[in-house]
Amino acid sequence: MSGERLAVPLPQAAAGHAAGWWRLKPLPRPRFSALNLAFGFTAISIVVLATFAAPLWFAWHEALDQGRGEFLREEAVWLSDTFHKRGPEVLAAIIDRRVISEPATGKIVLFTDAARRRLAGNLYDWPAEFTDAPGPQLLTGELNGRPTRMVMVRVPLADGYQLLVGRVTGRFQRLENYFIWGLAGCTGIVLLLGLFSGLLIRRAFMAEVHNISQTASAIVEGNLTRRLPLRDAGGKGGGDELDMLAHTVNRMLDQIEQLIHGVRDVANAIAHDLRTPLTELRSRLEGLSLSRPPAEVTFAEVESAVADVDRVIGIFNALLRLAEIDTGARRSGFVEVDIAKVLGDTAEFYQPVAELKGVALSCDMPATLVVSGDPLLLTQAVGNLIDNAIKFARERGAIALAAEVRDGGVVVLTVADDGPGIADAEKPKVSERFYRGDTSRGTPGVGLGLSLVAAVAKLHRGGLELHDNHPGLRASLVLFSIPA
Amino acid sequence: MKVLLVEDNELVANFVRKGMEEAGHAIDHAADGRDGMARATGGTYDAIIMDRMLPGGIDGLGILAALRGSGSKTPVLILSALSDVDERIRGLKCGADDYLVKPFAFGELLARLDALLRRSQESQVATTLAIADLRMDVLSRKVTRAGRAVNLQPREFKLLEYLLRHANQVVTRTMLLENVWNFHFDPQTNVIDVHVSKLRQKLDAGTERPLLRTIRNAGYMLTAED
Repeated sequence: MSGERLAVPLPQAAAGHAAGWWRLKPLPRPRFSALNLAFGFTAISIVVLATFAAPLWFAWHEALDQGRGEFLREEAVWLSDTFHKRGPEVLAAIIDRRVISEPATGKIVLFTDAARRRLAGNLYDWPAEFTDAPGPQLLTGELNGRPTRMVMVRVPLADGYQLLVGRVTGRFQRLENYFIWGLAGCTGIVLLLGLFSGLLIRRAFMAEVHNISQTASAIVEGNLTRRLPLRDAGGKGGGDELDMLAHTVNRMLDQIEQLIHGVRDVANAIAHDLRTPLTELRSRLEGLSLSRPPAEVTFAEVESAVADVDRVIGIFNALLRLAEIDTGARRSGFVEVDIAKVLGDTAEFYQPVAELKGVALSCDMPATLVVSGDPLLLTQAVGNLIDNAIKFARERGAIALAAEVRDGGVVVLTVADDGPGIADAEKPKVSERFYRGDTSRGTPGVGLGLSLVAAVAKLHRGGLELHDNHPGLRASLVLFSIPA
Repeated sequence: MKVLLVEDNELVANFVRKGMEEAGHAIDHAADGRDGMARATGGTYDAIIMDRMLPGGIDGLGILAALRGSGSKTPVLILSALSDVDERIRGLKCGADDYLVKPFAFGELLARLDALLRRSQESQVATTLAIADLRMDVLSRKVTRAGRAVNLQPREFKLLEYLLRHANQVVTRTMLLENVWNFHFDPQTNVIDVHVSKLRQKLDAGTERPLLRTIRNAGYMLTAED
């Protein structure tokens, strides 16, 4: 993969791909976060370098100035001593000798009379810039015919004689140059390294991002089975940050795939279960308009048509109720519910239907058992379980209702019948929407009863458990809803 | 009885108007919120059937709130496609007397409306209820048919009390489910029918005139008329 391709991956890929790419719009002008990061670090490094160099620079200059000042003072003291002890002529001679014998030391001396005419020294004129202020002064004067930067100090002697002592400042110029060049070199190296590492990081990063966006595009095009590649295939914490991201994205994709399958299944089930009554309805109405039977037949057919519509409405209502429960919004309306009373009332409600089939309903539960929940939905869930149990119980069979508190504040409502039960393989499926087991074909119902129970249990942070009752089915509604 | 119908769907409005007129009620129709507001607050009606989602700037609950705010006690039945339990509760909290979800059976609407009209006329505190030779003493919880005591379970008693309070009036299965058992879901199986037939056995067994009748496609009626 070339660097050029990496720099602008999306538009190039878009040109080569089908329509799916267009939906993943790249940012209008890609801003490379890796490069920005590298530049940021480079800038910080340079600031750190400068912060380190600046005090050094000033300390060095301070030390230089101080040392130079001491030299000048010592020299001035020695020269003025010589003047006072041995007179101007001897001093002039000593100065000339020293200037001649030490030409390259950068020392500057000028000895003048009261009229500031030169008597001795390597400076030929009184510097024009020199003022009478005390202390060392920085100025440019002519030395050996060349303008030179120098530091001078004036030492007044007796009888108006004047002495100027100084040093050439340019002696350390080369050292300073080395320092500055070194600093500039360092900055350059930091810049280059920053740029280089930035490019490397971006290259790796873009490769990763390219992977992710390619997978995402494949998914947009409908290939839901694709997953991001993981460098840490074991998945046990050894991966880097991008692997963590890939893990999360993959988990999200699993969830999306599951949801989409769910939606597809539900859509298929809805289509199937609504199509049947709608087909009947349509044939009934079309038959009527084609054959124009006598009035009584027409009325009977219209009534059947209304019953068909009612079946469709019933399915819609059940689905809406499920959707309402699934959002979990109803949890905000939880109140304290005496679940024993709910179970008792519902059992009493279904009692005559059970009697009609000769089925005995028995209850085993405490007098009161308070949970926090939605009374309407709990009643409906319990009702669905009892309704199912009565439908599937044997003629003259028995149904046992029980409510108990288990460890950890879990409340379990059990409805057990002695009917055909559910095969183990079918158990996970029965709470799916519209699923109707083989044994339930021919019984009334739309196949949403147990899904509603499962949804209500989930809303109460519990679940629906199905066990064998030898013979029959034990359906347990588990609720984690003991009020605080 | 004079009933105001606030409903923007023309088909539904015509359907309700026709049915209500056949049942002997006079219907005024408002097709949007503004008109509904003007008629509801301006006219005198025995009951109002109100849609919730209306064009014209003000919705059904808005009209209801204004009506109740002005101190009117006219019974209001909300007829809405908003079917969530929370939406029903909102409607009832706003001052509605009943809430029926679309799509609906006309029999259900008529029965509920009749119950509302009756409720606004009669007192609910009567302690002795009677029809033909059937008597109920609500306080002592005794029921007799032609002088002979009828032995009822507590829930059967409540069922009969509701039927008696709505005597000569159609009572739907949903109304019984909501008012006698306080259940707000469709039990799918015909549990109500089984309850009613049990009660009927106890009431009408061995008598020549059955009182508790099944009304086709609607529900039940406790009546002595033929």
